[in-house]
Amino acid sequence: MISVALPRPFRQHFERWFEKRNPPSTDAILLHSRRLYILPTRFGYLFAMLLMFLFLAAINYQNSMAFVLTFMLTSLGLVSLWQTHKNLLGLRVRMQIPRPVFCGEDCEFRFELSHEHNARRHAIGIQYQQQPPVYVSLEPGGRATASLRLPTHRRGEFRPAGITLFTRYPTGLFHCWGWLRFDLPVLVYPRPSTDTRLQQSLIEQYDGETSTSTIEGDDFAGLREHREGESLRHISWKAYAQGKGLLTKTFQGQARPSLWIDWSQLDHGSIDERLSLMAGLVLAAEREQQKYGLRLPTITLEQSLGSAHKHSCLQELAIFRQAESRPEFRIGDD
Amino acid sequence: MATTNRNLPIRDIPFEESSRGAIFAVSFCFLFSLLPHFVNLPLWISGIVALAIGWRAVQNFGLLKPLPKWLLIPLVLAGGVGVFAEYWTIVGRDAGLALLTVMTAFKFLESRNHRDMLILVFLCYFLIATHFLYSQSIPTALLMFATLIIITATLITLNLRDDRVPLLERLHDGARLVGLSIPLMLVLFVLVPRVPGPLWGLQSEQRGGVTGLSDRMAPGLISNLIRSNEVAFRVDFTGPVPPQHQLYWRGPVMSRFNGFAWFQEPRGPLRSSDIYSTDPVVEYTVTLEPNGAEWLLPLDIPARMVKNSTMTKDFQLIGKTDVNDMLRYTMRSRLNYVIGVNESAAYLAKTLEYPKNSNPRTIELGRSLAQRYGSSEAIIDAVLRMYREQPFVYTLQPPALGNNSVDAFLFSTRRGFCEHYAGSFALLMRAAGIPSRIVAGYQGGEFNRVGNYLIVRQSDAHAWTEVWIRGRGWVRVDPTAAVSPSRIEQGLDDALGAESAGFRFANRNPIFGNLLYSWDNLKHSWNDWVLNYDQRKQHDFLQRLEIGIESWSDMVFALVVTLILIIAMFWLVVWYRERPPRPPAYEILFRRLLRKLSRRGFVKQPWEDARAFAARLPLAELPQREQIARIVDLYHHIKYGRRGASTPALSNLRSMVNTLRL
Repeated sequence: MISVALPRPFRQHFERWFEKRNPPSTDAILLHSRRLYILPTRFGYLFAMLLMFLFLAAINYQNSMAFVLTFMLTSLGLVSLWQTHKNLLGLRVRMQIPRPVFCGEDCEFRFELSHEHNARRHAIGIQYQQQPPVYVSLEPGGRATASLRLPTHRRGEFRPAGITLFTRYPTGLFHCWGWLRFDLPVLVYPRPSTDTRLQQSLIEQYDGETSTSTIEGDDFAGLREHREGESLRHISWKAYAQGKGLLTKTFQGQARPSLWIDWSQLDHGSIDERLSLMAGLVLAAEREQQKYGLRLPTITLEQSLGSAHKHSCLQELAIFRQAESRPEFRIGDD
Repeated sequence: MATTNRNLPIRDIPFEESSRGAIFAVSFCFLFSLLPHFVNLPLWISGIVALAIGWRAVQNFGLLKPLPKWLLIPLVLAGGVGVFAEYWTIVGRDAGLALLTVMTAFKFLESRNHRDMLILVFLCYFLIATHFLYSQSIPTALLMFATLIIITATLITLNLRDDRVPLLERLHDGARLVGLSIPLMLVLFVLVPRVPGPLWGLQSEQRGGVTGLSDRMAPGLISNLIRSNEVAFRVDFTGPVPPQHQLYWRGPVMSRFNGFAWFQEPRGPLRSSDIYSTDPVVEYTVTLEPNGAEWLLPLDIPARMVKNSTMTKDFQLIGKTDVNDMLRYTMRSRLNYVIGVNESAAYLAKTLEYPKNSNPRTIELGRSLAQRYGSSEAIIDAVLRMYREQPFVYTLQPPALGNNSVDAFLFSTRRGFCEHYAGSFALLMRAAGIPSRIVAGYQGGEFNRVGNYLIVRQSDAHAWTEVWIRGRGWVRVDPTAAVSPSRIEQGLDDALGAESAGFRFANRNPIFGNLLYSWDNLKHSWNDWVLNYDQRKQHDFLQRLEIGIESWSDMVFALVVTLILIIAMFWLVVWYRERPPRPPAYEILFRRLLRKLSRRGFVKQPWEDARAFAARLPLAELPQREQIARIVDLYHHIKYGRRGASTPALSNLRSMVNTLRL
């Protein structure tokens, strides 16, 4: 995590050491002393300089009370080193499985903090890289939640690196932190293209290979048993109220074309642009209640409709050649 | 996973605007740290502090705009010029404090965010240290601890990021941090090797308001000093305390008279042949309060030199620098002695000089005495008899004397204090042809029966004379003893009777006498153990402990060991107090089962229920599956069942888990 300018062998050694001490977790992370790091803050260094100055002055003036004050502040510093560390020690952090988002949206990571100690814990911050932190405090034996909203810049599985749980309480002389490394990636779907004209033309282009759907139409055709995954809009609530169970209304009418969202049909643009278009088509087809299937060089998803189908299509688009994904834009010097 | 984060997170927390609570806390902190200084600071600086705090408070409510940045540099410059105009310097104790205060006030005025507030709090820590340049007394030390608690509570407030925590809790947390720091502070205080200072040149500061002996003597000078009840010095005797009438603490010696006042005569250093004595030495340690003067005060007559001091031919012990800080030294004296038998003729001639045109009646009296009595002893006796038999009064309130002050005292007012008696006596002796000089110092002292030491106050200041007699050298004659023997035998309170201001604890307050002795004893111990804890004291103390700490490196070693021990102790206490609650017995047994199974490679996943886990164990590999299922069932019954953890159920579970062989 902390890449220090180290020669290569040392660096590898360091990374191995770090990896061993901070294995990514799918469950809770217990912040024990091997997972906690502590260093002085800028104010800590300033304080140390002040102490040196006081010590020299005390020697120079041979002033016993100045010695007392110098030693008092020195031990105050050491005690606050211990207290700052103690403020994080034994905390248990759990991360909720994050909801997938479209690239460019903020994704929310929710952390649940708890501890079993009988001391209050103050000013515990959660911070992602250089962004402003979120602070919580915990009652004795209590719990708290904090959420971080992180911007997403590229599709695929997003495991945010560099989320830290830190504290500077009580004196601000030391910064104690632990890395929150969870093996719970958030799925970032490609940013859906909103170019409707292009979508329309693509849908028309697909018309050649459409097949007829019997489910969709305008005229009521009858009732049949409800199957899981079907839209709730078509459930006959009247029949349900009569105690006949869940039945789905079927309609017959002009056949709607179903379509294939096909990678090979798109021959221009970068990978990300093509995937972005495909994601837009998935959403458009879903909006139009039009059956669609997905064809990627690696996988084919049969034609279907519904929330589960949408998510599995978007997931395939998200992770397709993930390594070649480029960030859409940059913020800061990441 | 690829992890690249080039920065430590430490530098990257942005500084927010300070909250109102934080600004009030820092204002209070600033005021409190300056509290004892308001008497030392000029009024305009106190005004600037008040103005800065007021402005910031109003600004806090949004009624005033923050100070424009460009105004700051002119303000700081003006502050510096103001301090220079006040003191004609910007370094040294008083000017340094003034400068620090003004700059802190301006920093407060321009403070905007969290960072500024933290820096201000650090400046407040620094301001505490400046108190000790003025006073190191016990009340100042107590005030330091109170201020430390307030500053630390402010620091906590700034780092809390939660204004809802009540003030009392923050103060409590501040006090807790300070309290936790005390043991470590004591260890550091005792064990950190002391370096003798100073490291760089010190400007000697004039101490205002300290009282002490002066280098001349005139009517009124000592009686002014005597009105002060301040402690001049304290003395610990190694043996028994000598009787009161032998306690003459020798200060400046004055041998030049100008008709009104007595002055010092420059003298060379002492030769060892100047003193003869077979009396046993008295050893004692003097803890001298700062008095701004150069004399160390030995018991008459000093038999040994003190480091960093010189002894003059007339037995003045003179320190290398003025006593501006508390000074502690061990001395030896002999109470019966013969000095100055071989005094030089030139000096003797000087100790006979007096202005011929003033005090004519006194000079006339002295000459006539010399004609009437042959020997020096007889002349001295006659004069002392005169003091005793004629109506001389010992009083703190002598009437004003005219030009010929000695004449006026001897022949008309006859009311005076020790300086009147000593001065008139010495002049009479000179007129009678006997060399004489004045010795100023202290006489007597109050024995503190609680701490077994002697308290000598400014009110014990005294002046007496020494006359030179052929064959006997310089002999001490105290004419005050002739007028008021009780002054020498019992002390000033008794001698003054109704005039007394009640200088001594025992006389002032018969009921609380012991309490006052205890309080003075505490101060004495404070001086001894805290304020005088220097390199030598540290060495002596550690050697006396007899734990083998002899040298500098031993001290560092002991320091490191003690620090490690303290840290270990802290960790143990914390671990004990904050250890997670012990899981119930059935959980421990169940974990034992899981450990046994995991050794065979069967690991329960966190999402698995115990029963589901037991169910998926392969029968072929684990013939004990039935027993495991029974254990799991029993575990479930104990944990979730209505009857809970009954003793037979638990012992059943224990035996089943323990007998399971995998």
